[in-house]
Amino acid sequence: MAAQVTLKRLVAVALRVGNLTFGGGDPTMAAFHREIVTRRNWLTPEQYALAFGLARVTPGTNLLAFYVAVGWRLMGWRGALATVLAATTPSAAFAVLLTHSAAAWGANRWVTSVFEALSATAVGMTVATAWLLLRPYLRGRRAWRPLVFSGGAAILALGEWLSPVQIVGLAALAGLLWGDTEGP
Amino acid sequence: MSTVLLYLILLKAVATSFSGLASLPVLRADLVEHYRVLTDAELSTAVAIGRAGPGPIGLYVVSVGYFAGGVPGACAGLLALVTPAFLIIPAISFLRGAAGRRELRGAVHGVMFAAAGLLACASLPLARSAITGPLSSSLAAASFLALALTRADTVWVVVGGAAVGLLAAWAG
Repeated sequence: MAAQVTLKRLVAVALRVGNLTFGGGDPTMAAFHREIVTRRNWLTPEQYALAFGLARVTPGTNLLAFYVAVGWRLMGWRGALATVLAATTPSAAFAVLLTHSAAAWGANRWVTSVFEALSATAVGMTVATAWLLLRPYLRGRRAWRPLVFSGGAAILALGEWLSPVQIVGLAALAGLLWGDTEGP
Repeated sequence: MSTVLLYLILLKAVATSFSGLASLPVLRADLVEHYRVLTDAELSTAVAIGRAGPGPIGLYVVSVGYFAGGVPGACAGLLALVTPAFLIIPAISFLRGAAGRRELRGAVHGVMFAAAGLLACASLPLARSAITGPLSSSLAAASFLALALTRADTVWVVVGGAAVGLLAAWAG
C-alpha cells in the first residue's frame, strides 16, 4: 500500500527527483512518473498524461509547468508552489555555482565522467518511462491503438513535421474522435 | 541594468517560448545585441551549464541572469522561469475530471500514447551525445531494466550511475 500524499512527502520527492535527474525535462518527467505513478500511486497514468500534455502547451519551460500541475493536482496551491520551488531552487543554485566556476568544473575529469554517466542513465530512464506508459494498454482488441499513436507521434516529431505542442493537440483530437481505449 | 528590468526581459523570453532553449534567440537579441550586458561566449557557457546540470535545460536562464546581474540576476532568472508555469493551473482545473469522464478518456489516452512516443524521441538526441561506448551503453541498458522490471527508487539508479562515472574516472 503506497503512503498517502502529504506536503512533506511531496516536497521530499520533488527535492530528490527534480534535483538529481540529469538530461533535461523529459528524463525528469520520466523519473516523476516512476515516483508518483508507479511507486506511490499518487496520480493515475491518465492524470499524469494530462499534466504532461498540458505542460507541453503551456508557455515557458515544460517541466516547471508539469511540476505546478502535479503539485496543484495533489495539494492545491500549496502543493504547486512547494513542488516547483523544491524541484528547481537547488538546481538553480547549482547552476549559479557552475556559472561562477565554469572553467574549473569543465576541466575536471571526475566531474565530466560523472556527468557523462548520468546522461547515459537518463537515456535508459526516458525510454523506460515511454515503455511503462504503453505497457498496460498493449493487450486486448485495441492493443494496436497505443502503438499507432506513439509511433505516429514519434514519426511526426522525428521528421520535424509538427512541433510537440501540435502533436499533443493532434493526439488529443484523434483520441477524442476514436473514443475510449481498453486499459488496465 | 536593474534587476526588475532583467526579470521582465527574461520573463518575455521564457513566456513566449514553449521549450527550454526556444527562448534563446529572444534573450540574445535583448541582452547581447540591444543592452550589451552579456557576451555570446557567456551565453554559450550558460547553455552548456543548462545542459550539464540537473533539471530542465531551461535553467540556463538562471545562468544568464547570473552573468548579467550576479546573484540578484540569477534570482530574477529563476522567478522568470517559474512565473509562466502557473498558467497551467486554469487549464488543469478546467480539465480536472477529464481522466474519469468516458467521452474525454479517449483524448487523454491519445495524449498519453503520444507522450510515450515523444519521450522515446527525446531519448534519441540524448543518446547520440551520451552513448559513446560500451560503458555508457551498459549504463543506459541497466537503468532501463531497473525502471522497466523493478520498483527500484530512481535515486538509486542515479547514485549507481554517478558511482560508475567515478569508477570510470578513477580507472581511466
